[in-house]
Amino acid sequence: MIPVVRACRDVKFKGTMMKRPKLNMKTFFFTCIFVCLAAPVAWAQTPGQVVKAKVAMASPVARPNSIVRAAVVVEVVPGYHINDHHPSLEYLIPTEVKLEPNPQVTVKDITYPKGEPKKFAFSDAPLSVYEGTVRVDVALQLERKTPPGNYEVKGQLAYQACNDHACLPPASVPLLFSFKVVGRGAPARGSQ
Amino acid sequence: MDLNEPERAAGGGKTEQPEAGGKVRKFASRGKVLIGAVLAVTVVSGLYLVNRYWIAPALRTQAMSGGDHPGAPPVSLTDIGGKKLDLADYKGKVVVLDFWATWCEPCRIEIPGLVEMQDKYAKQGFSVIGISLDDEPGPVVEFYKEFKMNYPVAVGNQRVGELYGGIFGLPTTFLIGRDGRIYAKHTGATSPAVIEDEVQQLLAMSPTAENMGFRPGMAAGTSTKIELGDPAAIDSEIPGLNLTKLTATQKESLKKQLGELKCPCGCNLPVLKCRQVDRACRVSLKMAQAEMEKVLKSGV
Repeated sequence: MIPVVRACRDVKFKGTMMKRPKLNMKTFFFTCIFVCLAAPVAWAQTPGQVVKAKVAMASPVARPNSIVRAAVVVEVVPGYHINDHHPSLEYLIPTEVKLEPNPQVTVKDITYPKGEPKKFAFSDAPLSVYEGTVRVDVALQLERKTPPGNYEVKGQLAYQACNDHACLPPASVPLLFSFKVVGRGAPARGSQ
Repeated sequence: MDLNEPERAAGGGKTEQPEAGGKVRKFASRGKVLIGAVLAVTVVSGLYLVNRYWIAPALRTQAMSGGDHPGAPPVSLTDIGGKKLDLADYKGKVVVLDFWATWCEPCRIEIPGLVEMQDKYAKQGFSVIGISLDDEPGPVVEFYKEFKMNYPVAVGNQRVGELYGGIFGLPTTFLIGRDGRIYAKHTGATSPAVIEDEVQQLLAMSPTAENMGFRPGMAAGTSTKIELGDPAAIDSEIPGLNLTKLTATQKESLKKQLGELKCPCGCNLPVLKCRQVDRACRVSLKMAQAEMEKVLKSGV
């Protein structure tokens, strides 16, 4: 990036010997005032959604009796945290991936990351929390006689978020695990 | 006017050549840019700090003390002991209305201070009222005993929260004067000293007229603007939108549009469904409000 910018600057200001645009003090002054007044307004906005989650399938195709693997990638907005799946205190609401029952699929395993211990202004002891991007691994077991076709398993990521002085009510993000089941003869890369 | 200007113009496409002192000028020019940048950062930071710690609090205080104290919306619930809890019964008292939950760590830290205040000021016409946002009363009852709470507590519902402008962070505390008006709102854990100072001010003020001299505590930085919910929007078939200005045709048109628009909040639902399922979603609310404005403007 840097050489490109330099080349561009050379062409503009050296090659053609154009004059550098002068800094207009009036514009500068009003820009400063605008930035100052706009910044607190922008920072004071209440975030609409502090947690986003998406499902990444290890393979979009699977065979009957195989394990379908997926990752739920959770993004927590900076400044907020959500509780560990195994929270430090029993009354805290854990982060949890919940799946709706499906006759062809059973939940084999859900692996949560270990939370980070963090001390907050409101807590005496550090709390185990998730911040930034975290990944929850999900393994689904397909039934032996699962007929070929497209499948969708619905679920949700349930969480309860706080920042360093307030907590938001418990909330959830919908999740959708989509995959195709093919017959035994067809290729199914990524399934086991 | 620059006298060299006609010569330059006469020179047509002729360009100037770099002078021998170009390097010196280049360094001087870079120095100017650097000084300019430092100056800009200093001015912006300075103005921001002045605005944050001086102008904004002053304006907020002015706004709060300029008759901007709305009447507290009605609260009528059953407390965890099975008794009727009606805010109207507290008229003439100073009330701290505290929205909290057992799973909220900052709330748990704040409550012992409220218990202490209840002890200290109850005889002067003061009461704390706790509205828990827990799903069930079980944990609230346990908590009540464990923390030796000495004021009425009820499990709230979404409507009460929405009437109070939506509870977007816990704890949220409202300071209500003897006249039934809301004088301050704090979101997040607030220093007991700030709340106590406000309680003392309200206890000393007139029970009948609006108290213009009230100064909300700003030290904790959690004092927030008081915005109450519109009952017509809360009880609307599209939660959050006051549909009373729309004709029947406009309502149908709006519902159709919101049923087709996908909400980008991550819910994978149309905006209409998202409003109905997740009333707290601000993304769908903004989109729905914008669509309603369009429908109103179109006049169809």
